[in-house]
Amino acid sequence: MTETPRPTPAPSLTGGPAIVETDRSALACVDIHKSFGGAKAVDGASFAVPEGKITALIGPNGAGKTTVVNILSGAMTSDSGVVTIGDQDVTRLPSYKRARLGLIRTFQLSRELGGLTVFENLLVAAKVQAGESLTNIYFRPGLVKRVEAENRERAAEILEQYGLYELRDNWARELSGGQKRLLEIARAVMAEPQLLLLDEPMAGVNPVLIDRIGEHIFDLKTAGVTVLMVEHNLNVVEKICDHVIVLAEGRTLATGQMSELRDNKDVVRAYLGGVLDGRVDS
Amino acid sequence: MSPLVYYLFTLAFFVFAYCILGWGLNLQFGEGGILNFAYIGFVAIGAYVTGALSLGKPQAGSGQTYIFGLSLPFPIGLILGGLAACVFALLVAVLTFRRLRTDYLAMVLISLSLVLYDVINNFVPLFNGADGLTNVPEPFADTLGLDPNTFVPFFAGVTLVIALIMWWLMSRITRSPLGRTLRATRDDPEAASALGKNVFRYQLTAMLIGSFYAGIGGGLIIEFAGAFNTSAWLPGETFLIFAAVIVGGVGNNKGMILGALIVPVLFTQLPKFIPDIPGHPGLILNIAAMAIGVLLMFVLWFRPQGVIPEKKRFSRLPAVLVGRRSGSTQQSAPLSTEDTL
Repeated sequence: MTETPRPTPAPSLTGGPAIVETDRSALACVDIHKSFGGAKAVDGASFAVPEGKITALIGPNGAGKTTVVNILSGAMTSDSGVVTIGDQDVTRLPSYKRARLGLIRTFQLSRELGGLTVFENLLVAAKVQAGESLTNIYFRPGLVKRVEAENRERAAEILEQYGLYELRDNWARELSGGQKRLLEIARAVMAEPQLLLLDEPMAGVNPVLIDRIGEHIFDLKTAGVTVLMVEHNLNVVEKICDHVIVLAEGRTLATGQMSELRDNKDVVRAYLGGVLDGRVDS
Repeated sequence: MSPLVYYLFTLAFFVFAYCILGWGLNLQFGEGGILNFAYIGFVAIGAYVTGALSLGKPQAGSGQTYIFGLSLPFPIGLILGGLAACVFALLVAVLTFRRLRTDYLAMVLISLSLVLYDVINNFVPLFNGADGLTNVPEPFADTLGLDPNTFVPFFAGVTLVIALIMWWLMSRITRSPLGRTLRATRDDPEAASALGKNVFRYQLTAMLIGSFYAGIGGGLIIEFAGAFNTSAWLPGETFLIFAAVIVGGVGNNKGMILGALIVPVLFTQLPKFIPDIPGHPGLILNIAAMAIGVLLMFVLWFRPQGVIPEKKRFSRLPAVLVGRRSGSTQQSAPLSTEDTL
């Protein structure tokens, strides 16, 4: 089992340790289609997410971003097309098998496990779980205890990094919207992702917390995690994303760096009037 | 033995048996989120298989026909009865769990319960049809020379021991990471799956273990009563056990003890021992059934989490770790209310 390096705090969004970047694709989709009844949500989208980078998936409302994320994570199957993680074709793999390959996601609306405490939300995400086996529960309690102790220590470290440590014994359902966003990302980190899909991580979050979430995402990149995030806030995209994919009407409209895309007429047109200097829609 | 003491031991037996039944349903519904409206069917399978394995070959002219008839001693027949419920649960889960969730699954399961009821009621060679099984031997009665007066307290004690073992086995599961993962699949199967959890596998585990408990509970009831027929497991009986789980506290095994005491025993078994009101046969039992409905509405309205709610599992970090945390300088500032609007 490969161990993902743990995130280390980055000084700010603009600074941080030097990062070794490669152009190898960590995740890719080729010509994926998805229709709901007669409506085409995704209509031949193709793109690659470069390894070790933060990639933004942007586009106007109804562009098919969340559907693409659902297809990439395995929550939804595409009507046609191919999805690969590294060199492996995962098109038909269910989401839990993709998660075991290191692809972890968060959701557009926070999906905290409300009947578990904040601490348990992290513990349940741990990759190694000796105590999920009945044989281990009854016949190897020592192993279960040891693994659980390791997971507890790691969960406490992550909660501390995300400023949620003091809330560890609260029911997750009792958290505020911003805290739930942080919890979801912290939980994803606990799962030791190699690839992280974040579906609008800044949605409904105040500016102070947006900066903090941005720092955490940047920290993940420094730790070697590839990030693909759906984001409407273009200031955030400009600050932390290395690469941008623009979707419109279910197709890939353009890819590149944000500075290049600002001058792309197709992209500007797709944003209904070309508001590309801030938040594109509410 | 005075009739009152005899009744009290009888009620004690039902408390212990319903605790076992309730713990099984609590694992499925309270921990795993499976709305198993066919639960009483698994109880019945456990009861019939235990009874048919404990009985000898059906005698010509006895008026009973049934399968097995192996005269197996206690507790082998009981364990096999539990396993038979497990096998049935496996079939049901494989056929339904991959495609159906929550309310649709519940509808299929209640239909299944009705089908099972009709099959056992009408297919006489299986378990003697509507007449059911009778004269099931009382465990150890011959060996220990027990008469009906001494068998009841003896078997209530045996059931207590079995209930304690089942409690210990269940506690190990609900307190373990497996229990935590089951609660995660209950709260949000899609989010659990996105974390690498095979939801089908965990819900199947809950279904099998819960059904084993149902089968054992059913087996104990037929061993105690010596008889079991379709009037004992009308599909509506499932809701009696659900009511016990809801009143006691969903997801809390201690709450289930209270639930078993209140609903199936005080509201169902106890009224059976109250003499009928002259001229109004069955009125007391009907009032008791209505009282359960009122109780359920009362609990759902005023205390939906049950009398003893689901327990919060505190982080309980080792002291060394707590010290290190409080002395740490690298942590992010805790979120203020302002940060988290």
